[in-house]
Amino acid sequence: MENYQGVAIFGEWTGREIHESTYELLSEGRRLADELKTHLIVLLPGPPEAKEAASELISYGADKVIATLDERLNDFRDDIYARIVAEKIEKYRPEIMLFPATSLGQALAPRVAGLLKLGLTAHCIAFEIRQEDRTLIQVRPSFGEQVMARIISRTRPQMATVRPGVFPHAKKIEGYQGEIEIFRPSEEAFKSSLEVIEKRPKPKTDVDITKAQVIVAGGLGLGSKEHFQKLFDLAELLDGAVGATRPVCHLGWISEDHMIGVSGVSVRPKLYLGFGISGSLHHTVGLQGVETLVAINIDEKAPLMKQADIAVQGDAREILPLLIKKLKKLKSQREND
Amino acid sequence: MRIMCCLKPVPKPGSVKVDPETHTLKREESELVLNPYDRYALEAAVELAEKTNGKVVAVSMAPPNAKDILLEAFAFGADELVLLSDRAFAGADTLATSYTLACAAKKLGPFDLIVCGKVSVDGETAQVGPELAAWLGLPSVTWVKDIKPLNDSLELIRTREFGEEKIKAKPPLVITIEHEANVPRPPSIKRLLKQDEVEVKILSAGDIGAKEEYLGLNGSPTQVIDTFAPEYHGKREIISGPPEEVSERLLSILKERGLI
Ligand SMILES: Cc1cc2nc3c(=O)[nH]c(=O)nc-3n(C[C@H](O)[C@H](O)[C@H](O)COP(=O)(O)OP(=O)(O)OC[C@H]3O[C@@H](n4cnc5c(N)ncnc54)[C@H](O)[C@@H]3O)c2cc1C
Ligand SMILES: Nc1ncnc2c1ncn2[C@@H]1O[C@H](COP(=O)(O)O)[C@@H](O)[C@H]1O
Repeated sequence: MENYQGVAIFGEWTGREIHESTYELLSEGRRLADELKTHLIVLLPGPPEAKEAASELISYGADKVIATLDERLNDFRDDIYARIVAEKIEKYRPEIMLFPATSLGQALAPRVAGLLKLGLTAHCIAFEIRQEDRTLIQVRPSFGEQVMARIISRTRPQMATVRPGVFPHAKKIEGYQGEIEIFRPSEEAFKSSLEVIEKRPKPKTDVDITKAQVIVAGGLGLGSKEHFQKLFDLAELLDGAVGATRPVCHLGWISEDHMIGVSGVSVRPKLYLGFGISGSLHHTVGLQGVETLVAINIDEKAPLMKQADIAVQGDAREILPLLIKKLKKLKSQREND
Repeated sequence: MRIMCCLKPVPKPGSVKVDPETHTLKREESELVLNPYDRYALEAAVELAEKTNGKVVAVSMAPPNAKDILLEAFAFGADELVLLSDRAFAGADTLATSYTLACAAKKLGPFDLIVCGKVSVDGETAQVGPELAAWLGLPSVTWVKDIKPLNDSLELIRTREFGEEKIKAKPPLVITIEHEANVPRPPSIKRLLKQDEVEVKILSAGDIGAKEEYLGLNGSPTQVIDTFAPEYHGKREIISGPPEEVSERLLSILKERGLI
């Protein structure tokens, strides 16, 4: 195991830019590398135009960017990408390897794990270092209960995927020095029976809730789609976005793009208001980055009420319209002043 | 097409039992149901088999009490039922699970296509499909929401955060299925009546030629070392009373803190 050194993260090229999640891995990767007194590397496969991005990554704290730039990496093909990452891991032997839990990362990381016969922990929300044996302790919610599990891996590199939004965006470090190294994979690595023949972007309709400064979220406690709809009025007044728990998405009260939690997204707003949400760990792992958390629930013992900065006990179906009414009044007062 | 469909029996919500020492699920003591996502995988497999005059082999790695779930799969259209069951499989993480399924695929194959669910609701990893593909040296496409059989290939629609991708893939390969892919059919009455006659083939580690060192808890590189309930800070503000009052109070606190 001594032969494995350094922290590696996967750099995801979206076709236009580096994916947001890479910058989040850079901040956590840097922290882990510093704690282990070792280097941070980024594995970046992409088409030739991703080259500029490679130097950009260095200014966010990467010591080395190991880039493979090839036309054939224009599209994400699971088999090609996985073989290239596996070849890089075999050559550079990092002790830790983190992937984003994006659609690409979730497809890629387990393929790499299968190729190299490595352990892989999915959707981690925190990491700790056990110094005496340089072990990465990986924290993730466990089996549908209100508990977290600490997981370790017997194989090296210790690999995990990280849900986007869990860690903060890395800060630019002026004058940070690092190098770009070009890695040429074997020709074999480029063999594939997959061909991406078309990409269809989805129409941009909704606000991206991962970027919202204010989130008003609703759960089953709102009782009906009609009550849930009112969240949109409140969100508009607060210049925010609407979030939801999984069951209400499945009931069709709102689309899954708004789901917060393990199966949805993580959010980092200044203010989050949760109406009729119990606060299952599946939901609250997506709330790690919330600054001020408000829960509105009839049950003062609901887990979200215990976690809240402001716990409001009451019927969300009554309080929600009252808040809308009062905010409207407040707004018009402010405008008249 | 000959299709293998991987079906995961999962503990019924509320009946989850965890081994206090290994922190792994005690599946043999839990009431099991089919992983909800795997219904869509099974439907996709059955629809494709119908279109291509093929067969669906449903495979689960689970304790013996999972037999009923495979019989259910028969009612939903699976042709052959295989239960991989052996004490040696217990406590498997995704690497050991995918290895076991890969051994079964080699034994029962060759298959043109292997279909998995997008994710399981107990493990919640979405790893087994791509890992299985890697063990078998097959390509994989995850999060598939539409499958069209062409002459010698499949046209797949994969969901991504930015939208979707159309992918042309040559079998054999492994795919994982989104819940938007289809609307699963109800069980067939004709098949329900025949449930007593169908065989669930039970295979052990030896039957599928699996190597001991890659199986179960021993073959699992990841280990849960402990579990804990998250702790919360104590400085919270609690507001209760009539709705008018609490709304007023909440807004004034948010104003004070400069949040609205
Ligand atoms: C593998 C897996 C993954 C999952 N992923 C996610 C995920 O990503 N995101 C997610 O959100 N969930 C997820 N879930 C589901 C999760 O476990 C919970 O079931 C879900 O979050 C609960 O949603 P809820 O709070 O809306 O409903 P409930 O748990 O039913 O809570 C409703 C709450 O409303 C309160 N209430 C009732 N009436 C009122 C009223 N009139 N006024 C105020 N309060 C009221 C109740 O006291 C209760 O606390 C997942 C589950 C599994 C098994
Ligand atoms: N024990 C199992 N038996 C059969 N299929 C499984 C098993 N575990 C996982 N799978 C398949 O892999 C998919 C993803 O599971 P997971 O990686 O646990 O999220 C499931 O939807 C199943 O299709």
